[in-house]
Amino acid sequence: MEWAWLIPVFGFAAFGVIALAGNGLPWRGRYLSILAIAAGFALFWFVLLDFIERGAGFHRFGVDWFETGGVKVAWGIIIDPLTVTMLGLVTFVALAVQVYSLGYMKGDKRIGWYYAAHSLFAAAMLTLVLADNLLLLYFAWELVGLCSYLLIGFWHERRSAAEAAKKAFITTRIGDVGLLIGIILLVVHTGTFDITEILARATNPAAGEEMSNALITGTALLLFLGAMGKSAQFPLHVWLPDAMEGPSPVSALIHAATMVAAGVFLVARMLPLFEASGDALAVVAAVGLITGLAGAALALTSTDLKRILAYSTMSHLGFMMLALGAGGFTAAIFHLVTHGLAKAMLFLGAGSVMHALDDETDIRKMGGLRRLMPMTALTFTIGAASLAGLPLLSAFWSKDEIILAVHDGLHPVYLVLLLVAVVLSALYMARAVRLAFYGPLNDAVRRAHESPKVMTLPMLLLASLTLVVGFLVLPLGGGYEGIGAFLLQPGEKAHPFTLNVWLTAASVILAVGAFAGGWRLYDKRADVVTSARERFASLHRALERGYYLDAGYQWVIDKVVMRAGSVVALFDRRVVNDRGVNGPGEGTVFAGRQLRRHVTGLFADYGVAMALGVLAIGIFLWVRVA
Amino acid sequence: MTLLHFELLGAALFCLGLYGALARRSAVLVLMSIELMLNGVNVIVVAFAAYSVRDNVTGLVIAIFVITIAAAEVALAMAIVLRLFRSRGSVNVDEIDALRG
Repeated sequence: MEWAWLIPVFGFAAFGVIALAGNGLPWRGRYLSILAIAAGFALFWFVLLDFIERGAGFHRFGVDWFETGGVKVAWGIIIDPLTVTMLGLVTFVALAVQVYSLGYMKGDKRIGWYYAAHSLFAAAMLTLVLADNLLLLYFAWELVGLCSYLLIGFWHERRSAAEAAKKAFITTRIGDVGLLIGIILLVVHTGTFDITEILARATNPAAGEEMSNALITGTALLLFLGAMGKSAQFPLHVWLPDAMEGPSPVSALIHAATMVAAGVFLVARMLPLFEASGDALAVVAAVGLITGLAGAALALTSTDLKRILAYSTMSHLGFMMLALGAGGFTAAIFHLVTHGLAKAMLFLGAGSVMHALDDETDIRKMGGLRRLMPMTALTFTIGAASLAGLPLLSAFWSKDEIILAVHDGLHPVYLVLLLVAVVLSALYMARAVRLAFYGPLNDAVRRAHESPKVMTLPMLLLASLTLVVGFLVLPLGGGYEGIGAFLLQPGEKAHPFTLNVWLTAASVILAVGAFAGGWRLYDKRADVVTSARERFASLHRALERGYYLDAGYQWVIDKVVMRAGSVVALFDRRVVNDRGVNGPGEGTVFAGRQLRRHVTGLFADYGVAMALGVLAIGIFLWVRVA
Repeated sequence: MTLLHFELLGAALFCLGLYGALARRSAVLVLMSIELMLNGVNVIVVAFAAYSVRDNVTGLVIAIFVITIAAAEVALAMAIVLRLFRSRGSVNVDEIDALRG
């Protein structure tokens, strides 16, 4: 367990080697990257077994890094249920995605760099989940942002990809500023970067060390701003759909294990701070609910397969935040895992479809793909059904946990709206699966073919996990009491598996009903869909444009940011540059021009000056003596 | 003949020399004027030595030093003037302004 820090180090090392010597390595380094993440995955199992053996609790290891002005900073790691869970998810999904990329990225001329960035991405995320202090966490946080930029813009020859990469970087950066300010505030007021100590100060302070309520709320909200950017919470979600410009395996990684999971992880890690301030927790819940609903509605109208999945991710991230806002730590992280597995699989499936159809992503041009790509269709259907919440699939169990947590922790209005979002989830998933894979074969896709084994195998693996991982929620015996007894915050009491019959029944009926209804709707009654679209034309248009958020941001950038920028630029050019920088230079030149006139080079002029000077000194001395 | 007469003679020589050095154009005449200034000073220091009651030597030593250095200076200066004439064909000091800023 002490050696858990090696897990990210493998990735960093692989990145260094491939980035420096990539093209000289055999297979241009791609197997080195896979080897590194596989080693990380293997080490995860040792950590897990050791962790269980030592009695799942809260462990810390580390060495001092430096001390400055009374603030100590350490290279340290936390090993607790949250970290172990995240380690498993990140290493497994990254491994599956990298193996899949062998087939998907075959023949790309920059494949070495692709794998280097993948390694760095996974390593950064692993550092993030291990970090025991906010400084290390912030480093890893920024690295994750950088890697997402590199990979979203991997095909930067395409202008749209370059734009999408910039958008992702800048949008998340807005949140990162909040995170940085929050961290600085916390450090200034507590004098330490150590997460455990900060949480102790916030929740259970020694006498005279209490933090004011405003400080706790403020810092919690600032940290949440960072999480909103990374985890694509409304209204900072605009980068997520555009991030589809990256290669599909990158989307799988971003949506399942690395980028967007970071925000949820941050809130989960700092949850005691949020709980110490009811207001911050309420904001988290509200933003989560809005995001869940907004994302689901957007997914329902999008016609781009990858965008549907992206909006679905946004919606599910909203659910996780909502669960955290309700105090449902276990539910949120469990959903992060089940959703991550299913969503990684769905993106790999979407990539497989694009691979077969020459990068076509419009579901209206697909249909009947099941006949040509049986494996992709099977796995995609399992993933979609899981996220739609069909019973016994993994996301069903975690969604049930979230519903329970919201029922226990929040106002009934939240519960009702969450159930609406559940219905929407089932609807859009039914729509995507039905339109892309079932029904009559679309003539446009007749040349499609199943992807090679190196791509379908990771999908199958993820799909089979999606089938079974949900059962972790049940007490399976052998000392295992269910996820509610394992995935806990420090100090939290184990809560055994419970089933609120009415709630579960309601969610099952809603999900199954919506899935079946949606299937039938898009299968047989396309006319109903068309007429509904026409009746709610303005709403439909708003959804298609993403609530006009992009247009609004563009307006703000054009009219406010650029205008203000041009004023500042004018000041910079006219005052700072023309006066401040050029001024002294021009002044010196002018003074020199004037002064050079007295230097005539003529002997007589110097002689006169000398004689007059001696005369003046003589008169001065004479007057002084007399 | 009092000390004042010698002082007036020395001052007159010095001023004549100064005028010549500043007003003349020919480098040779400028050099001769400078000699005149030096000798004006020499007259005064020798007179001081002659009329002093305590110390009759210091002024003479200074005068000898001045004469020696003046000789060396003239030798050097005449060499420069000759080189100037070779390169420019003129020794008019008003035309020599190579150090102008």
